[in-house]
Amino acid sequence: MQAVLDAISLGGTYALAALGLGLVFGVLKLVNFAHAELITIAAYIMVITNDLPLVVSFLIAALSATALAVLTELTVYRRLRGTGPAIMLIASFGLSVGLQKSFELIFGALPRSAAVAPWMTGSIEMANLNITIASLVTVGLTIFILLAMGYLVDYTTLGLQLRAASADFKTARLLGVRSNRLITSSFAISGVLAAFVGFIVVVENPQVEPMFGLNITILALVGIVIGGISSLRGCALGGFIVGFILSVLNTYLGNARVYAYSYLFMAVVIILLVRPGGILSKGNEMERV
Amino acid sequence: MSKVRVEGLTRFKAYEILGPLGVVFVISIGVGLISASLQLAVQFALCNLVMVLALQAFVGNSGVLSFGHASFAMIGAWVSGMSTASERVKGNALALEKLWEPLITWNLNLYTSIFLAMIAGGVVAAIAGAFLMRLNGLAAGIATFAVLGLFYNFFFNNTKIGPGSQALPAVPKFDGVYEPLLLAMIAMILVYGLNVSSIGRKLRATREDLMSAPALGISTQKVRWIAFTLSGTLAGLSGAMYVHVAGTWQVQDYYLVFTFLTLAMLIIGGSASMWGAVAGTLVVTAVGQVLLLWEQGKSILGLRIDLPNGARSMLIAATLVGMLLWRSSGLTQGKEFDPRRKRN
Repeated sequence: MQAVLDAISLGGTYALAALGLGLVFGVLKLVNFAHAELITIAAYIMVITNDLPLVVSFLIAALSATALAVLTELTVYRRLRGTGPAIMLIASFGLSVGLQKSFELIFGALPRSAAVAPWMTGSIEMANLNITIASLVTVGLTIFILLAMGYLVDYTTLGLQLRAASADFKTARLLGVRSNRLITSSFAISGVLAAFVGFIVVVENPQVEPMFGLNITILALVGIVIGGISSLRGCALGGFIVGFILSVLNTYLGNARVYAYSYLFMAVVIILLVRPGGILSKGNEMERV
Repeated sequence: MSKVRVEGLTRFKAYEILGPLGVVFVISIGVGLISASLQLAVQFALCNLVMVLALQAFVGNSGVLSFGHASFAMIGAWVSGMSTASERVKGNALALEKLWEPLITWNLNLYTSIFLAMIAGGVVAAIAGAFLMRLNGLAAGIATFAVLGLFYNFFFNNTKIGPGSQALPAVPKFDGVYEPLLLAMIAMILVYGLNVSSIGRKLRATREDLMSAPALGISTQKVRWIAFTLSGTLAGLSGAMYVHVAGTWQVQDYYLVFTFLTLAMLIIGGSASMWGAVAGTLVVTAVGQVLLLWEQGKSILGLRIDLPNGARSMLIAATLVGMLLWRSSGLTQGKEFDPRRKRN
């Protein structure tokens, strides 16, 4: 039971990270590596402001991540718009490394740690089973955020514009969607999502260092591609699958768990060969490279 | 009528290859003579250059991103490092406690090992490419990344075939810049040869229009596979060179930083031309060296800026982003070396 819950909670965390990446990719065709640093900054802020009430600390973290996300859009990505995905991707990687090194200068290379929300590390007994509160909270929080995002995307004007822009950016603009505002909003939302991911991860692993968010971002990136990058649902599903598989592998591989990533990557290659457009794609669409 | 400019060359012109060869030769020898530390920097730069050339051959011509090339370099470096490292050290080093017996006694001379490294890189690329070359866009990028992740995870944890997360010590080093320089120049000739060949042209056709190229009788999958295999061979060479410059093999050297640094060199130089690969490597390496000297408190041509420790990596990253903002299609804008053209 705990294993299943762990798998769901890890899957959920990766789904949130994937959603943040997918949102920006949808409107800008940008694979934002620097999403990792949004997660990292949120985690740093939560550790540093640990003395404040949790809600206040989280709000500051979310504001910082959002501000950083919007700042990267205004200073770098906006100027690179229209140059092509490869160039934007390399720029985002440069930005990611630059931010990591800045964190190293500001916060030091050694991990900063603090017990964020210590009550979550306890466990409760439920039907003769010991379940950690953290995994319950993560699952609950993830479901809530996914539902909220679902509402935002399906029922609000902003959501409609996001969907329209990710289907056909040019036509959406011609129909009156304000591109700058929409792109800035999607960066802001991805910042908030990154803050949630930062919070969830920092509770389980309170050692925050400059590369804190990198691993989860890379795996979420793998997730959005295998899920189907053309839809937000596909992104979230792909992220969930990656987290879920990883957690299951870690539980059942025993001593061979160090090779969990090898199995995961093999699965990724196989999924992509069978469905190049991702699990939720509609047929094998041709894409101009 | 508007003119459509396709990036990348189509016909052989002697100056397009002789120019870059001359530039690399003069800079490598000239800078290498200044000091021992600069000589080492030149050696590393030449390893990177071969990797960037390998990426240019495939990524630049096909337009398909590959994050998997570092794994071919990793394999090449492993073959060349493991087969030349001192037998005594392999038998005694703590990191290699559980090493498989035949690997301890495996002993080749330097050049045979480098040749074998190229074959190994090429074979692995050929096998991976046979499956992956039908993918496009980001899916291809992520699938190649999965290959890198798989090899990294395997080598990092397996102590039967290597040092795991530790380092394999006592790998013989190159003596001076001449050997890596010669290898890099051979790589430049090979890549230019591919670029002007019919395979190179067909590959660029698939890059420009994935729909029309098959209508001209081009098998996208086939030309990509050939380029991917050749490019994997060169990546294997780059890894083998790296291991003989560093004098040690460590799986961490062939992972994310290596992948993105070399890709950044390619994009900054201009991915569509061989000259772009050369220019990108030169400029990014030069920026790194200048910042290193400033960090050490030295002055360059009378200019001295005191950098705090650790600021260098941040400034390199910032410079990369700055260069992309300044000239997003690369320094050479996809053009080959041309002495007649006004520099812009």
